[in-house]
Amino acid sequence: MRIRHFTFALLILLVLLVGSSNTSAQALDISSGGQPTITGSVSGSVTGSSDVRNDLVVTINFGEVSPLNTNSIVKVVVPIAIRSNQPYQVAVSMSGLNNANAQAVQASDVGFGLQNIRVLGGAGKICTQSTHVIQSPFNDDPSSSVTIGSNGRVVYPSTLANLSGSTIILSGPQLSKNNSSIRQQSDGYVFDAIFTLTPQFFAAGVSSATLLFNISAGPNLPC
Amino acid sequence: MPRHTTKIIFKLCLFTVLLVISAVMCLGQSTSGTVSMSATVSKFVEINSGGAVTLSGNSGGGVTTDGVANSPLAVSINLGELGPGNTNSFVTALVPLKLRSNASYVLSASATVTSSGSTANRIGAADVGFGLGTITRSGVGVNTGADTNATSGDPTLPANGSINGTTGRYEFTAVRSNLSAFSSSTTALSGPYIMNAVPRSNANGLTVPAFFAVKPQFFENGTTTISVTFTVTAP
Repeated sequence: MRIRHFTFALLILLVLLVGSSNTSAQALDISSGGQPTITGSVSGSVTGSSDVRNDLVVTINFGEVSPLNTNSIVKVVVPIAIRSNQPYQVAVSMSGLNNANAQAVQASDVGFGLQNIRVLGGAGKICTQSTHVIQSPFNDDPSSSVTIGSNGRVVYPSTLANLSGSTIILSGPQLSKNNSSIRQQSDGYVFDAIFTLTPQFFAAGVSSATLLFNISAGPNLPC
Repeated sequence: MPRHTTKIIFKLCLFTVLLVISAVMCLGQSTSGTVSMSATVSKFVEINSGGAVTLSGNSGGGVTTDGVANSPLAVSINLGELGPGNTNSFVTALVPLKLRSNASYVLSASATVTSSGSTANRIGAADVGFGLGTITRSGVGVNTGADTNATSGDPTLPANGSINGTTGRYEFTAVRSNLSAFSSSTTALSGPYIMNAVPRSNANGLTVPAFFAVKPQFFENGTTTISVTFTVTAP
């Protein structure tokens, strides 16, 4: 009898947990926005999920970026899906990529921009009173804005060096129509995060960095 | 309803709830995601032509295949007459080289000299003067480093050669001033990295002229072929 009571209590607890999950469901969510792609690489790769219901876990290997790579640029496009039932903001913070040698790959050598924010299926909320805003200077495709600085080094309009702590890169009004507790394939928005690296006479070595994308409640914007 | 059946239904319900929770967890939401990235830079060195060849003091002959700046080095030169019929003091060829690297480099040379003659009076490797001239690091994107020239420079300089008082033959006597010092791959030049972090499309680099000189003498008649291979490495 006692076992039955204990089991029943456990069941109630689990149901409450599910209930609480539903209560906070769809509030704010970030996930994969589709299969990432890479072009111009030598021995490079990018891995991530093509399923927008999976977590955002992407690994980019730019490959060889010395002059051994004769392509003009290595470009990676990472689609990212976002969902919310309220105004939101997306922030990015970076760790790593702190080479002491100025001739090694620096954060300023990695172009970073956002483009092509679009509705993810029919359940994405289309607001008419507010717009989704890509924060300056990230509203660009760095591969189409490459210039050469006075020191001969490649310059992009926005790079990872523009990230300072947790930096807001995108904000806007509500993203999703429904309030599902489960990620769906058509209930939010997708944007492309674009990363570029031009092969140059960098100092030899291996460089790495990790970006953390985070979505949170944003400024109150009417929909 | 029998008590046993109730138990089974209860367990099935419990199992169903666990499945639902599992599904929610699997497709659950997250407020963060990660993008990890890495890139590799390997050591890179290259040697190209630094421009057109300059041939002087020749009698006959000429530049058969000239150098083209920033193109692969593949120069062919006919030094012309090297016997006493050529009254110039030296036949000299200047071959501009251009080096680029993202790491410390070593430029080595390896030479073979073959003559159709059969006596000691034929042209040999020691009769071909060799040296590297003034090293220039200039232009946007070029690192200002100090290079080490392992040769003695222009082999025609008075300090680098003279007539042997015993044999009467002209000899290039300074350190690594003739091709006999390069019968196997031997360092001619070395230094720190040449290029800062700039794209390969940047055409600047380190330029240095390679001197080749022969003193016209009473060599044994015949033809001579001189082949020099330059190799740059990043040790």
